[in-house]
Amino acid sequence: MNPELETSTINAPSALGHIVLENLSMSFGQGVSRIEAVQAIDLNVAPGEFVSIIGPSGCGKSTLLNVVAGFATPSGGQVLLDGAPIVGPGPERGVVFQQYSLFPWMSVRKNVEFGLKMKGVDTSKRETTARTLLGLAGLLAFENHFPDQLSGGMKQRVGIVRALATSPQVMLMDEPFGALDAQTRVVMQQILTNMWQKFRLSVLFITHDIEEAIFLSDRVYVMTARPGRIKAEIAIALPRPRTAEMMSSIEFTQILHKLRNLIREESLAAMGHELDAGGLEGFSTEVGPAGLQHLV
Amino acid sequence: MASLPLRVFTPAGADKPAISAPLGPELSAVPISTGRAAVLPPAPRAEPSAAARLGEVLRSQLTTLLLGACSLGSLVLLWHLATTYRWDFYIRFANLPTPMEVATQLGMAMENTSFIHNVGMSLRRIAIGFAVATVLGVGLGLAIGRYKLLRQLMFPAMEALRPIPAIAWVPISIMLWPDNEVSIVFITFIGAFFPILLNTVAGVQAVDAVLLRAGQCLGAREPQLMWHVVLPGAAPQVFTGLAVGMGVAWVSLIAAEMISGQFGVGYFTWEAYSLISYADIVLGMITIGVLGLGCSWLIRAASNLCLPWLAYSKPAGQS
Repeated sequence: MNPELETSTINAPSALGHIVLENLSMSFGQGVSRIEAVQAIDLNVAPGEFVSIIGPSGCGKSTLLNVVAGFATPSGGQVLLDGAPIVGPGPERGVVFQQYSLFPWMSVRKNVEFGLKMKGVDTSKRETTARTLLGLAGLLAFENHFPDQLSGGMKQRVGIVRALATSPQVMLMDEPFGALDAQTRVVMQQILTNMWQKFRLSVLFITHDIEEAIFLSDRVYVMTARPGRIKAEIAIALPRPRTAEMMSSIEFTQILHKLRNLIREESLAAMGHELDAGGLEGFSTEVGPAGLQHLV
Repeated sequence: MASLPLRVFTPAGADKPAISAPLGPELSAVPISTGRAAVLPPAPRAEPSAAARLGEVLRSQLTTLLLGACSLGSLVLLWHLATTYRWDFYIRFANLPTPMEVATQLGMAMENTSFIHNVGMSLRRIAIGFAVATVLGVGLGLAIGRYKLLRQLMFPAMEALRPIPAIAWVPISIMLWPDNEVSIVFITFIGAFFPILLNTVAGVQAVDAVLLRAGQCLGAREPQLMWHVVLPGAAPQVFTGLAVGMGVAWVSLIAAEMISGQFGVGYFTWEAYSLISYADIVLGMITIGVLGLGCSWLIRAASNLCLPWLAYSKPAGQS
């Protein structure tokens, strides 16, 4: 089986997947306890572009992603996908979660087939697509395993492949490698950039790992401490396809220093706020109850 | 998750190429070299020979079996001694049948159609009552667990009825239903219903919200989400409810048969008391025990069959 041929039929290149956030703001709670999570966000992702958002903890990066995914409705401004406002989640926007979120009762292949099944694609076609994608991610041998039999890196590859299966125009990734160890993370970044090279869809990628953001992205947005705003927007002019060697190049290092300084200011500001607010309170927006569960 | 992005690293470090050496631009080469090494369920430790393993398994099984036999054997022995020598110290064993008498009675009962008929009647009542309780309990539980409005509307009523034991329903049930048979099935149903309902509700509420989001992102609409995500997510706890429900169903059934029944093992046992047929009383008790055990074994088997993935989600030993 020629993967190159197979995938081109799954994901025909298109000029779709244009995300625009205009003057977006988001707040939680009412009255005195009202918290401004993000403010006046103008952000866009061109079709086929890889864009990352980095920022200190609690700056509302995940909130932005939730809005684009359709899990949350903005308090102000608008979110458009190819000119149409986003209402609720949908299969044209694939989401990869930090906690993998694979269905533990389904085999790896059934997980990948899920989106296609919801679309009403017939069994044999589902199977072919799932197997092709799993083959690309090097997981074909594990198609009949349950997710709990896999390592974290493998689970997240299944998560990515599952999101790709419905041929989305957009991929939204919320710190997808945040739960992985450093070595696995480096490998996963390489796999992701290679996959992106093949599929060329728009990606909105949330991370707090600066190197990761530079390595993967065409552009990086830096957010301020809460209430989150766009502090800077930096184009990453490194050539494609990206390779690990580029991480030691002068260009990479320069961008890294620049971004790290920007982030450091904001992290210090964020910590200052947290200390003022009495410790843990500053985490509440980003971590939330579900996130805390994950920590316990 | 909340760590600060101030990681220290060496930009021009010589170790970088070493880490990334196996990463060619070709995808296929990467995952195979890393994935295999990561985790595989059959851990690649030195496998002992098949014969040695079999021996080990047999030995541990044999020990379990022997100890089990000892445990049961001493119970029967104690029973035998107490009844044969008619122990009498506040508790009186004088009128109780000996194990041999009960065994003889069992032999006679097996040739007698009325005993078999009684067992059949009880099993039928359990089957119908439990099936209805499962369908209603799981169905309602899914809806109540998922929809807040429904929960607020129905839960108070359910909570009001729940503490009333199934046996307390006997008089009302006789008045409520046109014939005795239906009323006994109803009591069996009541016994099984609440454990199933409550466990299903709890199971639905415990389904990870991230899985629901994942389902929605992949295009699942509400009915699909219910069937493909909520139900399987709640399934482990649903089966807990079924197991508990089965136990309570038997308790309720036997009580109902003793009080109002015609036919059934409970009726058989109580009738034996009225007829001063002591061996039959104990035979009835043992039959009830065996039937109950069989039913809960069935539930466990069904659970293992339906939830094969659970074997991996709780790694034994967590090494």
